Amino acid sequence: MPARQLSVSIPTVTRSIGRHALIAALAAVFVLFAWLAPAFLSGANLLSVLVNNFALLAIVATAMTFAVSAGGIDLSVGTAIDFASFAFVSLVLAGQPIPLAALGGLAGGVVVGLFNAVLIAGIGISPFLATLGTLFVGRSVQQLLTNGGNPVYLPPTGVPDAFRFLGHGTIVGIPVPLLVAALVIAGAWLGLSRSRFGRVVLATGIQASVVRYSGIALRRYTAATYILVSGIAAVVGLILTSTVTVYIPSSGNAFLLNAIGATFIGTTLSPHGRPNIPGTVLGVLLLSIVANGLLLSGLNFYWQQVGTGLLIFSVLAIGFANRKAAART
Amino acid sequence: MLVDAPYYIPGSLAEPAAGNPQEPRNDRPAYGRQAAALALRGGSLAVFIGVLVFFSVTAPFFLTVGNIGNVLGQSAIAGVLAIGLTIVVIGGGSNVVTGGIDLSLAANMGLSAAVYATLVQAGQGDAVAIMAALGTGLVIGAVNAAAVTLAGIVPLLATLAVMNVVAGLELVLTQNTVVPASSELLAALSASGPLGIPVLAYVLLGFTLLVAAAVQFTPLGLRLYAVGEFPQAARAAGLPVKAFVAGSFIASGLCGGIAGILSVSFLSGSTTGAGDMLLPVVVTALLGSVFSRRLVPTITGTLLSTLFVGFLINGFQLLNISSTLVSGVQGLLILLVVSATTLLRRQENI
Repeated sequence: MPARQLSVSIPTVTRSIGRHALIAALAAVFVLFAWLAPAFLSGANLLSVLVNNFALLAIVATAMTFAVSAGGIDLSVGTAIDFASFAFVSLVLAGQPIPLAALGGLAGGVVVGLFNAVLIAGIGISPFLATLGTLFVGRSVQQLLTNGGNPVYLPPTGVPDAFRFLGHGTIVGIPVPLLVAALVIAGAWLGLSRSRFGRVVLATGIQASVVRYSGIALRRYTAATYILVSGIAAVVGLILTSTVTVYIPSSGNAFLLNAIGATFIGTTLSPHGRPNIPGTVLGVLLLSIVANGLLLSGLNFYWQQVGTGLLIFSVLAIGFANRKAAART
Repeated sequence: MLVDAPYYIPGSLAEPAAGNPQEPRNDRPAYGRQAAALALRGGSLAVFIGVLVFFSVTAPFFLTVGNIGNVLGQSAIAGVLAIGLTIVVIGGGSNVVTGGIDLSLAANMGLSAAVYATLVQAGQGDAVAIMAALGTGLVIGAVNAAAVTLAGIVPLLATLAVMNVVAGLELVLTQNTVVPASSELLAALSASGPLGIPVLAYVLLGFTLLVAAAVQFTPLGLRLYAVGEFPQAARAAGLPVKAFVAGSFIASGLCGGIAGILSVSFLSGSTTGAGDMLLPVVVTALLGSVFSRRLVPTITGTLLSTLFVGFLINGFQLLNISSTLVSGVQGLLILLVVSATTLLRRQENI
């Protein structure tokens, strides 16, 4: 090895650039927008990035990271968000106390996870197809429940303040959505990289057959993973509903592609290309900063999507090309 | 799964939840499985025919030449897209996450349609506009191909990123408005052909025939299947695996361009919201494999599944059933089909 050190030094350099493509991209967009739009660096704006762009997507992407870590994917996170939102709104309208309604909302989201768990761990359908099916069935169920997709509004008056707390409240000056996101991220990080459950999930993603042959109840862990994913996504449903005080059928799907994007952008941070919570969080941060910065820099709104897409594309290209090079040596 | 796939697999997304295709298959002829596969395939055809019979009995106008022609015509756009996706799935392997998939198809159609409509509105002739629309599709396909085969990004992600860029470009071009367009080609496409059946219906059938002939009945098509299902064996046999995968994405891009032109003729212009076509098209293409003998994706199977969905929507409309049920039925269908195939495979592996 020491003898080869010299000859591989150039690939090593490019590889370390590839490894840090995500951090470099974050730093670059940060500097770029600070220079293009002076308002970008203001405390109020940075806080709004965190609360409006970052918090909710970060929670969804964290959930997605669990599914991808286990070697799968969950296309029905949006469905879990919607079901949670619908259950929450319905219970509040029925006059239930807010804490109970929130619990009901979480349960509504978990129903989606249970359905996925039966399909994936029970029957053994590949996660992509199973959750794609769930997405379609879920959309139809929502339209049936709402007379063809009508939003369910909460009356402007008579909604208890407690309802708005999740979306608009603050605890010691910190907005609740941000606080919840931080808790979810910290919990997910501990769960994924510091617990037995997380180790099994990661091992499943690397080589499921080895997990099975090690005598671990693989199916039980797989089921738990998808239930957990929908449970985390359900939290977003509660916050979203509390923020906008309305349930719009199938609105949760808006998070889906960005959550997948952030999770896979995050994999470029790991030397082995594995999904990881810090990477996911940085990925979400990158997407949020780009979305906000492009808005502030006054670029044509329609070019913003092109810019975001190109950026994601280049981070992925660098990350994957680098990983390919690493696999070759 | 595909241990040495032409692109890098992150972690092992490749590991399916159940079954392990890498395990040696038993050599004795699996009559039980054949019977079960026959039951599934026959079953899905039986369901298809059953649905047709049900609608013919309950909806008086269902079984008329005009109505069937309409369904064919209305299915043309989705059909061409689903066929494009099928080519990618055949060439990339049927594992949807690590294998072939093209999420940029619907956005591709939107951009190609916008390019075509904008050029026609700007007074360009049909020839220029057609070339530009197909060229747009080809370029998008080529970008996907490069991202997958050169940069080594997983198709799911590569095409996801390309989808975002393409959808953005469409917005830039149209400013999110409807671009009306009329030209000789569009008039010819949206007219009625022989038997009072829309020309689009004939286009769909002709296109399917052409692609099916190329994919199912030529050495090229056989090699495409080999590359998708057994990339290592294909490489050992001297096939240029990467070139085939790249070719499948370019072909699918071309399908996006063609679908774009068809959609301009169907809607008399380019409209926004092409992205909504994505998931239904994915489901249609994946569903198509139940209509094939060996439960693999085929062009004719995709046509059948496109028509199945088309007839369902049409029948629901004729019976005044809310068409919102269609997405639920599609979802349930895919779950049923995939559960059945998974259970079959599991039996085989024991």
